[in-house]
Amino acid sequence: MKRTVDNCGMIFSTVNILLALIFLLFPIIVSIIMSFDGRSYLGLFPPPEYSLRWYENFFSDTYYLKGLKTSLIIAVIATLISTTFGVSAAIGLDRYQGRGKQLLEALFLSPLVVPAVVIGFAILMFFAALGIFDGFTRLLGGHLIITFPYTVRTTLAGLVGIRKSLTEAAINLGATENQAFWDVTFPLARTGIVAGSVFAFAFSMDDVAVSFFLTSPETYTLPVAMISMMRTNFDLTIAAAAVVLMVFTFCLILILDWVIGLDKLIGKGVYRS
Amino acid sequence: MIKNRSTWLLLTPGIVLFLALLVSPIANILDESFRLFEPGRIGAAKDAPYTLFNYIELIDPAYFFYLYETFRFGIICSLIGLIIAFPIAYTIARQKSPLFRKLAIGFLIGMMFLNTLVRVYAMQLTFGPTGYAKFITGIFDISPNGRTYTEIVVMLGLLHYLIPISALTLIGTIQNINPRLTEAAQVLGSSRLKSHLTITVPLCVPGLLSAFLISFTLCLSAFVVPMVLGKGKVLFISNLIYARFSEIANYPSGSAVAIIMLVVSLLTIFIITSFVSSRWSTK
Repeated sequence: MKRTVDNCGMIFSTVNILLALIFLLFPIIVSIIMSFDGRSYLGLFPPPEYSLRWYENFFSDTYYLKGLKTSLIIAVIATLISTTFGVSAAIGLDRYQGRGKQLLEALFLSPLVVPAVVIGFAILMFFAALGIFDGFTRLLGGHLIITFPYTVRTTLAGLVGIRKSLTEAAINLGATENQAFWDVTFPLARTGIVAGSVFAFAFSMDDVAVSFFLTSPETYTLPVAMISMMRTNFDLTIAAAAVVLMVFTFCLILILDWVIGLDKLIGKGVYRS
Repeated sequence: MIKNRSTWLLLTPGIVLFLALLVSPIANILDESFRLFEPGRIGAAKDAPYTLFNYIELIDPAYFFYLYETFRFGIICSLIGLIIAFPIAYTIARQKSPLFRKLAIGFLIGMMFLNTLVRVYAMQLTFGPTGYAKFITGIFDISPNGRTYTEIVVMLGLLHYLIPISALTLIGTIQNINPRLTEAAQVLGSSRLKSHLTITVPLCVPGLLSAFLISFTLCLSAFVVPMVLGKGKVLFISNLIYARFSEIANYPSGSAVAIIMLVVSLLTIFIITSFVSSRWSTK
């Protein structure tokens, strides 16, 4: 009896894992295949013939390309600024010993718990009140505040692991505080910082809910361009755009693995043999 | 004291960013939410009188329904996500082969990083009219344009995001449970299933709760999934804010909804985290 229940449990667990794998992967495979559809309209899956027409469409459509360009520019600038600010804030937090340290940390991480739509709407209203109607400035502002907490958190996690005794040893051996920081602390914290900026870049490229409120007719990001095409247009250029974005995601994963190793992101746990 | 000053100098850019792009904008919509709405105006006038009307209006059952829908989807999807993610996380956490582990974690992180729009579009192609909508609705004998099927597709859209995140959160928790405990129970005659139900699962409760919390807050703020996959039949609070803003340009009312949504999200997080820390205090 015990055996039967156990075997059922094992079978259930295996089937569950397989189904989940199919569920997660299958839609991705469908959209990759559909992006090579040779038909000129959005037809039933699977397509009877294949071509690169949707990719040609994507790479010759200025509407998408403009969105892609804006997305990349915003993501790069937002990543640079929020990494700089985030690293500075994390080092400050790590050193700060006064009261309210936890409160300060919670405040820096709080954009993570504010719904993105609320952030987008609030920034739109605030910038309008200030008289700023430029799409680029608004988008950059929105992307800064949503990426900032990631850079703070990963840098902080990297810094906490560095023992204070290392810096103290350097200072005892005659290094100035600045030297100790740049020669000891910074190299050790580098992986955390890089991970933070990869996260920041990924979330900036991914964002729709904040950008949706902040775009102007002239300045929009690729996901916003895709969503407005999705409503009005039923061709598969969006699928090609989706595959382009997937390639970006894949590159980011490779970078993360190369810089820190995917295993380290999760940690090995206490009881691994 | 020099050290103190340099510390504050390091914190300043972050604090400025935070005040300029989060605190002030939210304070601004808080003020806006108490202003009287004048139709035809973009935003309330500077000297518009204060009123509670924007909030009172939301007590109407029609608006309450959005909140109810968001919570219903949030709770159901977070729970399903946890149940599916747990065996996945367990298998990966107890996996000996480093290559398998790396590939599995890489796959989950990739799935988590996948662009929201790519995900939604992939779901639409797969479960929409050009995909398997007819096939699936045929099995369950429901209409592909009916509300039930739309609800299912919205749930699948949310789950596609929640499963990888829950699994990744749970791997860390499961790794920190001593495998000897379940082994001991099994040596002492407990079945595998029972040893997991009585030992692994209870030890994972804090991890399960935090995975639930993450999933649930993600559902609360979901915007694109209900907007695209819900086809106007399933709408969350986020979509209500957008509708207030884009369709009728009622900014004070949109602000009131945003404030309510913010309060609800923060309260939910506060209640769950204080429940976790009061029962499973780490100190």
